[in-house]
Amino acid sequence: MMSKASFLERRQTPKESSSVTIFITALAIILALLFGSLLFLPFGVDPFKAYSTMVEMSFGTLRGIGYTLIKATPLIFVGLGTIFAWRSGFFYLGFEGTILIGAAAAVWIALLTDPEGAIGPLPRLLFLLLVFLVSFVAGGIWAGIVGVMRGKFGGNEVILSLMMNFVALFLVNYLVSGPLRAPGDLPQTPRIPQATILDFIIPGTRAHSGILLALFAAIVVWFVLRKTTIGYKQIVAGLSPSAAWYGGINVGNRVILAAFIGGGLGALAGMVEVLGVHFRLLDGLGEGTGFIGIVAALLGKLHSIGVVIASILYAGMEVGADVMQRRSGVPSSVIFVIQSLIVLFILASDILRYYRINLSKLFGNDRGKKTLEVDSST
Amino acid sequence: MGLEQLFTSAFIITWLAASVRLAGPVLLAALGEIFDELGGILNIGIEGTILFGALTSFLISFLIGNAWLGILGAIIVGIISNLFLAWMYITVRANQVVVGIIFNLLALGLTSYTFRAVLGTQARPQKATMIETLDIPILSDLPFFGPVFFSHSIFLYITIVLVFVSGFVLYRTKFGLNLRAVGEHPRAADTAGINVIKMRYIGVMISGAAASLAGAYLVLGQLGIFRDNIVSGRGFIALAIVIFGRWNPYKAALAALVFGAADALQLSLQIFAFKIPPQVLLCLPYFLTILAMSGLMGKAVQPAALLKPYNKN
Amino acid sequence: MVPYIELRNINKRFSDVNANDHVDLSVNMGEIHALLGENGAGKSTLMNILYGLDYKDEGEIFVQGQFSDIRTPSDAIALGIGMIHQDFMLIPPFTVTENVVVGLDEEGSSPLLDLDKAARSIKALSEQHGLEVDPHARVEHLSVGEEQRVEILKLLFRNAKLLILDEPTAVLTPKEAEGLFEVLRSLADNDHTIIFITHKLHEVMNISDRVTVMRDGKAIDTLKTKSTNPRELAMKMVGREVVFHIDKNLGKSGECVLQIENLHVDDDTGYHKVQGVSLDVHSGEILGLAGVDGNGQSELAQALMNLRPIKEGNIIVNDVDVTNISSSLHRSAGMAYVPADRRKVGSVSELSVALNTILGNINHYATAGNLIIQDLQVREHAEELVERFDVRPRNLTLDAGKLSGGNLQKVVLGREIMHEPSLLIVEQPSRGLDVGATEYVRRQLLTERDRGTAIFLISAELEEILALSDRIAIIYEGEIMGVINSDEAVVEAIGLMMGGTRLEDLPGYR
Repeated sequence: MMSKASFLERRQTPKESSSVTIFITALAIILALLFGSLLFLPFGVDPFKAYSTMVEMSFGTLRGIGYTLIKATPLIFVGLGTIFAWRSGFFYLGFEGTILIGAAAAVWIALLTDPEGAIGPLPRLLFLLLVFLVSFVAGGIWAGIVGVMRGKFGGNEVILSLMMNFVALFLVNYLVSGPLRAPGDLPQTPRIPQATILDFIIPGTRAHSGILLALFAAIVVWFVLRKTTIGYKQIVAGLSPSAAWYGGINVGNRVILAAFIGGGLGALAGMVEVLGVHFRLLDGLGEGTGFIGIVAALLGKLHSIGVVIASILYAGMEVGADVMQRRSGVPSSVIFVIQSLIVLFILASDILRYYRINLSKLFGNDRGKKTLEVDSST
Repeated sequence: MGLEQLFTSAFIITWLAASVRLAGPVLLAALGEIFDELGGILNIGIEGTILFGALTSFLISFLIGNAWLGILGAIIVGIISNLFLAWMYITVRANQVVVGIIFNLLALGLTSYTFRAVLGTQARPQKATMIETLDIPILSDLPFFGPVFFSHSIFLYITIVLVFVSGFVLYRTKFGLNLRAVGEHPRAADTAGINVIKMRYIGVMISGAAASLAGAYLVLGQLGIFRDNIVSGRGFIALAIVIFGRWNPYKAALAALVFGAADALQLSLQIFAFKIPPQVLLCLPYFLTILAMSGLMGKAVQPAALLKPYNKN
Repeated sequence: MVPYIELRNINKRFSDVNANDHVDLSVNMGEIHALLGENGAGKSTLMNILYGLDYKDEGEIFVQGQFSDIRTPSDAIALGIGMIHQDFMLIPPFTVTENVVVGLDEEGSSPLLDLDKAARSIKALSEQHGLEVDPHARVEHLSVGEEQRVEILKLLFRNAKLLILDEPTAVLTPKEAEGLFEVLRSLADNDHTIIFITHKLHEVMNISDRVTVMRDGKAIDTLKTKSTNPRELAMKMVGREVVFHIDKNLGKSGECVLQIENLHVDDDTGYHKVQGVSLDVHSGEILGLAGVDGNGQSELAQALMNLRPIKEGNIIVNDVDVTNISSSLHRSAGMAYVPADRRKVGSVSELSVALNTILGNINHYATAGNLIIQDLQVREHAEELVERFDVRPRNLTLDAGKLSGGNLQKVVLGREIMHEPSLLIVEQPSRGLDVGATEYVRRQLLTERDRGTAIFLISAELEEILALSDRIAIIYEGEIMGVINSDEAVVEAIGLMMGGTRLEDLPGYR
């Protein structure tokens, strides 16, 4: 409350503009990278070299790009699910669970189309359509349970979704140890039929068509939220339930839809992981992706294009970090530190919007009042 | 072994003792979280703080050989890490759920990195000097009650004492009343002369000490080793316990026991030729929490200002 | 004689607004001092500074002649100053005793609570000053009047000698207000000093010893109440001759547009809030519903739009029974609604002005089976609204929350009016608005009325009801006490009805 005689002056209302946002995001990334470089030093690794190697490995080689796209795909799906759910006011954290559910559903359908399975081989397009629908709906219902609890009964979706993650974990654990287990001792299912595996789209890499689906989904989500009445109602319900109610929007129903779509998108992350990468269901599938995807969505400011960029960035970091660990022994977990610091710095920088830097006070002369606003005037 | 064996006192004693033992760490973390939430802060980052405490206590104990210093180190680290969390929650007023999730990721990364940096990337699980189990003289020889309640790690005794201490502080002291006021109606507390910011900081730092102590409990009192993601969701269980226990330390102790019992039962039943998949039993406490939180059983009466940052203006 | 409280040259700015402009105030011991002014005059800001909830930019505070640097409520409390706000600062799940005791920490006292001892002291205090209340009751179960008594007890328990009350009668019935005034007089007679903030002239005349009028952040004048009158005070308050009635002709009312038949509605807590209300509103007239906030008006308005379930009764608009149709269909039935809370209910603050203009009516701007929003149509509609209703700034992409109260109200009101409804329901239309915006809104309502719209006006400001209505209905505890023509309206009679007397039971009723 008391104004210190410092160069930092407090504003009454925060200044906001998109150029500030970009500036702050860039600053946060740089700061996080600087912090991260401190972690390289104990291993005798030159941070600058390390970072450039990472970039080269993830984006500079064809193989690297392939791996980056593979890792980015599930992140994008989770991020899109986060966008749809959170912007509707539904703070769903259960994507870890939806990934498992979507994966389980996809593997189940895929195994059924085995020549000896109940359905038998299907035409490719039909199979893809079927597995997409079943995965999506399974994830949608999974999250929808929490949506109904919140929408109809007022339950707290934050805790509920976290708890459901455990249930999904145990469910998959049960499936791969029991009913769906492949012959042998490992907790995993048999490998899915060759005919069900996703196409590789970049020769020389293992990048699969899942990324195309993810990009398409990003466009769809953007379109729905920005251009349709459904999107409008979701957003109003998320921004102001009381105004939504006044405007004739049933917030409970909006929440349930948010849950269904969010869960469905999260399930697609699991689907592409099994159909494109692992080719079977196993314990620990997609572990952590459910949360990193949320963080990527936050970095992307809950906008489709931001999510895609942030997911690719994070995926690239992970690929680069793996390479780095193999080459120089720096643990790949250093990447989690950088990924989280970026967003934490951005969050913390929000407080900067409340200040402006008074240049004349900073440099100790009072000749004229020059104030450099932390934010540029747009 | 068949059904009859299930009801022998030997089984029940083993089961209850295991329940109490397994409930310990999560209860300790939950006690701390109660101080967060009664002040109005939903601290999901508790998982991360437990992890910090686990690593700190392990490293100190392993490198220096003194478990007690490990505990002290864990508490200090916990308070510092929660100071940062408190700053994000209270001063920056960032979204608490978001900060918590990201903090957990940060903790995962930092602990994993530090563990490898100190012990080398290919480290096999190393054992740290642990705190031994303490048999309370005379009482631990009691039939039934002895093994169940009085033959445990000293951590557990501390935790139980802390349950009563928490109850006392929350309901019998001015600090407790003021803290609860802050979580219900921060503006009213402010006009009554309470420093809302300070109270919330204190609450979060108390939970920091408790959570990291819980991490030390896990490592030095139970597992003896450290590995990536050793906490594996216990922080979230603590959140569930707080809600299940209606933000009351005594009820939280009972709730923790339920979780511990399900965990213990599932372990014990594997010995029996039962057809119940162990996962069902493991799921049971989560189902119960889901039921409790679903709103189907009426609205959980949570602190009214939970999740809402306080802005003086 | 040294004044008990003296504020000298208090200055406080909020960004570009001077909330307190070199204000001087002095209050004597044992007096009841009224701080009179309209919304935004700076009264609350001044008192918040005195109570330590805010800090002055310039100026000094003297308590009993001593310079006092008050930075937090604790400082003020230590000096014997206490404040009661418009929204009660009580914690619902706590008991009365816990509420009184919370935050209390005397020098050298034990950190432990002694609730029993406190309860006994509270009982004694409450008996001493005529503030009946049960120390062990939970606040969530108390009535509004009882809650206020707890607030006063809180101050007395802390040995407050100066009590500051901010609009204390805003939520009280006239009878409860009288009770409060008795308590205040008794406290003043017992060496307590009282400052109370109000905008109600009759209260000032009724109870204060002296009154300070504030306007636009400045202290205009301080007068002895006995030597002034409402008109003089009103003039100082507003700065010009106050026209108590806008020049309105009586509306030419036509057919019945709205018919409410025996409506029963519950509020959120299940309480039977609207008990058998029957009213009718005709085209070309304004029916004003007068009554203290909280007597069922909001629930009635919400039920009309089916935003709240109707227990019993019927609503008929233009001869069509709309009782149970979904709220989105109400607009197509010709109904429009301006809610009391324009920021949280009437608009979405983080959404652009343009997108706010279609709230409640999106399907009208969508194609392809009501799915895809027509951006062009929306923009044209928004531009028309902003032009016609003079919304400033003219920026359509601006977040609605950044608009001033008056401009936001223009958006909300404009949006509803542009539907050309046959029935317009307006709740507290000028609450929180400055004089200019208030006049604008009222003129808009009269214009709409003259175009044939039926207007159902709900307002807690009796002056507004009198200024605009053709007929006046009074609601008290969910029931209509009476309906009268505005040219026969007598303020006293209305006040009595607002306090619970039925029209038929008024003295002199034939």
